[in-house]
Amino acid sequence: MSGKGGERGERKMETGIAAVEKVGGRSTVTRCFSKYPLKLIVPNKVGSSKTDAVWIYTLSYGGGIVSGDRISLSIGVGDGCTAAVTTQASTKVYKSVDSKCSEQVLEARIGRNALLAVIPDPVTCFSTARYSQKQVFRVFSDSNLVIVDWITSGRHESGEKWEFELYRSTNQIFLEEDQPLFLDSVLLEQASTCSIAERMQEYHVIAMVIILGPMLKHVQNQVQDEVKKMMSRHFRVPTPTAGHYMRSESQSGPTRPALVASCSAFGPQAIGVVVRIAAVTTESVYMFLRHHLATLEPFLGVIPYG
Amino acid sequence: MSELFTKNCESDQAVPFTSEQTQNCLMDCDMEEMSADNVKTSPADHLQQWSQWQLLDSILPTGGFAHSSGLEAAVQARFVVGPEDLKFYIIQVLENTGSLLLPYVYCASKFPDVESWFKLDRLLEATLTNEVSRKASASQGSALLRVAASIYVEIPSLKQMRDTYLGSGAASFHHAPIFGLICGLLGFDSSTSQRAYMFITMRDVVSAATRLNLIGPLGASVLQHQIAHVAEQMTKKWMDRPVEEASQTSPLVDIVQGCHGYLFSRLFCS
Repeated sequence: MSGKGGERGERKMETGIAAVEKVGGRSTVTRCFSKYPLKLIVPNKVGSSKTDAVWIYTLSYGGGIVSGDRISLSIGVGDGCTAAVTTQASTKVYKSVDSKCSEQVLEARIGRNALLAVIPDPVTCFSTARYSQKQVFRVFSDSNLVIVDWITSGRHESGEKWEFELYRSTNQIFLEEDQPLFLDSVLLEQASTCSIAERMQEYHVIAMVIILGPMLKHVQNQVQDEVKKMMSRHFRVPTPTAGHYMRSESQSGPTRPALVASCSAFGPQAIGVVVRIAAVTTESVYMFLRHHLATLEPFLGVIPYG
Repeated sequence: MSELFTKNCESDQAVPFTSEQTQNCLMDCDMEEMSADNVKTSPADHLQQWSQWQLLDSILPTGGFAHSSGLEAAVQARFVVGPEDLKFYIIQVLENTGSLLLPYVYCASKFPDVESWFKLDRLLEATLTNEVSRKASASQGSALLRVAASIYVEIPSLKQMRDTYLGSGAASFHHAPIFGLICGLLGFDSSTSQRAYMFITMRDVVSAATRLNLIGPLGASVLQHQIAHVAEQMTKKWMDRPVEEASQTSPLVDIVQGCHGYLFSRLFCS
């Protein structure tokens, strides 16, 4: 493990552990442990028997995370193995009681030539909820990783829109133990200069997709090309009369795109790609993910979000 | 002229501060510091002020004006349509700068040595996951170091550092840590360094707004002054944080900035 003793010993109260290793040439769950408030389920058959992948479902008792809950999951994917971690429905974070924060931590190690896909449904924080999530991935230069991390504005069918108190999501990827490759932290809190709802405007979903590793180069290239094509249509070329348009178009005129996305390569030799998305509807993001991650089917046996 | 400009001229009849007002204001803020300073102010301190002001002067050729902090993309994608949107956008850029980059300015100015700077530079390279912002940061930081190493010859470590790392490819020369480092070496205290970083960020976005023809030069100055108190709140809020706490607080602005490369026609590099 990371070898940074001290705090680990103290905080190593995992509520779940899963290990995937090659047994008889096939990816196999060799260890699976979970306790309240987390439940891990490993169905035998998810995709076709021709693909070598295990699927791990993370479930919570009562269908959501209660104020003050701390969930900590540790996953190891051995050399050459493939694993997908997903959920059965969105992760609900219930209202905060006594300003307590709920926490979810995932630590994962991905072996050489292995693939881990963390492809959950979105997190939905109810009004006043406080939620903090941290995911740490340790990879080699030939490990492969897909991470989808996303949040919706709340129960908007009941009129909630970005009404939680706090949401923090941290994703870190370290190469060969401790070289920082990707460090990202998104913090949304009400106690800011402007409310979260003001900052999000008409958008209800914020999503991030990370695609890393040599095995997934074609997935990266495809999403980069397609996002560029999709977004290019939405930019208007400024007219020579610029300077007047601020007033003339403020009343009417075309609106902003319902789904905005941008892609960035990161890491040495552009080893990874991150896509960030803001969308008006959750369904449009499901469609986006289904479409762009369909190329993972040969590895995982089924189309993610299919 | 934009509405914003006209409106502000009307409402701010008293806007041109009398020198008396300005002085009162300064006195209020800095009473204690000034009385402490008066005791130890020396000719060397006076000379240092010239160096400090030069670092913040927009004439310093660091290429800041080639960047719009995503404003150009925000305009073309219709996130910024009217004057209120412009103000709101600038405030969000400042908030994101405060939460994400001030920790780097803080740490670099507090420990202005090469080893600390190099660690911060590596960390920021992994933290700036948005390619457009990452490239903009590296090009502005490199330019700033080049300029600073040429003008502040009395600080030879700047040139040494540049010579050591330039060819090696090991450093990216990101802007916030370079700026913090230079501030530290020029004798800015860490809170002034952080406030100065917010100032130049705002200065450059406002300048981009004028060159995108969103606002006239006078209107831009009025806007800059209006936003100053919000910028100060944000500076205070995000000041003196460790880099572990650096985070994005305006994901929408970040996504729009990332779209800059998709623009068919553009004036700015970012």
